[in-house]
Amino acid sequence: MRRMTGPSGVGIGWRPEIAGFVADLPGLRFVEVVAEGVSASGPLPPGLARLRERGVTVVPHGVRLSLGGAEPVDPARVAHLAAVAHRVDAPLVSEHIAFVRAGGLEAGHLLPLPRSREAVAAVCANVARAQAELPVPIALEPIAALVDWPDDELDEADFLTEILDRTGALLLLDVANVHANARNRGTDPLALLDRLPLERVAYAHVAGGAEHGRFYHDTHTDPVPAVVLELVEALCARRRPPALLLERDGHYPPAAELRAELDALASTAGFPVVT
Amino acid sequence: MTGADPRAGLAERQAELVAALVAGGPPPPGFAPAPLAATRAALLRKRAGEVARHWPLLAAGLGDRWTTTFAGWAARRPTAGSLRDGWDLARALRGERALPPVAAEELAVREARLRYDGLRAPRPRRLPAVGRAGGAVAVQIAGRVRLLRPAPRTPTLAGDGVPDAAGSALWISD
Repeated sequence: MRRMTGPSGVGIGWRPEIAGFVADLPGLRFVEVVAEGVSASGPLPPGLARLRERGVTVVPHGVRLSLGGAEPVDPARVAHLAAVAHRVDAPLVSEHIAFVRAGGLEAGHLLPLPRSREAVAAVCANVARAQAELPVPIALEPIAALVDWPDDELDEADFLTEILDRTGALLLLDVANVHANARNRGTDPLALLDRLPLERVAYAHVAGGAEHGRFYHDTHTDPVPAVVLELVEALCARRRPPALLLERDGHYPPAAELRAELDALASTAGFPVVT
Repeated sequence: MTGADPRAGLAERQAELVAALVAGGPPPPGFAPAPLAATRAALLRKRAGEVARHWPLLAAGLGDRWTTTFAGWAARRPTAGSLRDGWDLARALRGERALPPVAAEELAVREARLRYDGLRAPRPRRLPAVGRAGGAVAVQIAGRVRLLRPAPRTPTLAGDGVPDAAGSALWISD
């Protein structure tokens, strides 16, 4: 079977609620789908199947593997991700540098690792376990986190670079997460961009968020703020990623607003308009 | 950096953090309180949104009170998945006579369709069943569910004056 090309240009996270909107984007070449939402053996959701027929690249995005968990990653979850990758003929898959459960409890969200040697070893071991079963390369996404562990040994750039070097994984860089972390920690997002291995970026995420209390929250349910678009521009000035993907996970706006966000990404990065 | 035990293993420390965020556990040593509180609140908002997708009439019936009602109920309860979280909350509100009519109808329909023991994933019923909540009555026969009687729109103490027993005693079968 012919494998699809890697992500390119402007894409959008495929969600059932906006399947009709996504299907109507004439220039779309790339979507991401939450891997846990796709059956490994049953039929693909109809909207997704039609995108595949059009040759649109589909990247399965895992959210519940818990690669950063101290325990070995669940082989059944890896097998599911691998099966979905086969199912949609994916050129790569992606997951997070995070953990989502521990001690028998589900956190319900992506939680940060301590930036310690022990955590680097744990996540690298789990990524290696996953890579042994996956049919395609994996890209790892650093998350947005409000909490920091009290005893970090490495700064963020060293932590991420060490993990990428040891695993050989690609980088899924979430520009909104870079903004959120810098804003909430009082650090410089450009300084982080300057130190990350941008040549390893498979694609980049862009999403909306909002200020609540003292923090910027990466909600995926608000518009993309101007400051995040400016960071996309700064990233592209350093090294343009092969693709930019808009993530929206709820409070879906009217189609015109979503199209405008996709157009803004295209014009900021100099990619073809997909709307 | 106060009190963090460098010898505690990663697994143990991750478990402490999750318990503090979703199960009312004590704050892990050394973590700043404000970011922990903000994370806890953000997780509850996210959970409320996910449960609302599975239980749209429960959320719509509570309206502006949905997020705070859910957060108050869920703050010390780790998730059992959105379907079960919403089901457990709806049953709790039914027990308090605080279930809005549209939410009562949604619960009655679910109770008629699926068997849920409060402990394991709900399963389809194989036999005909009746579901009741807040005066609403739904019946399921051969997998098809109909709402026989809507919940009364005027507030009554116990739905049409009929004592609204909670739990498995409601079921005429299975």
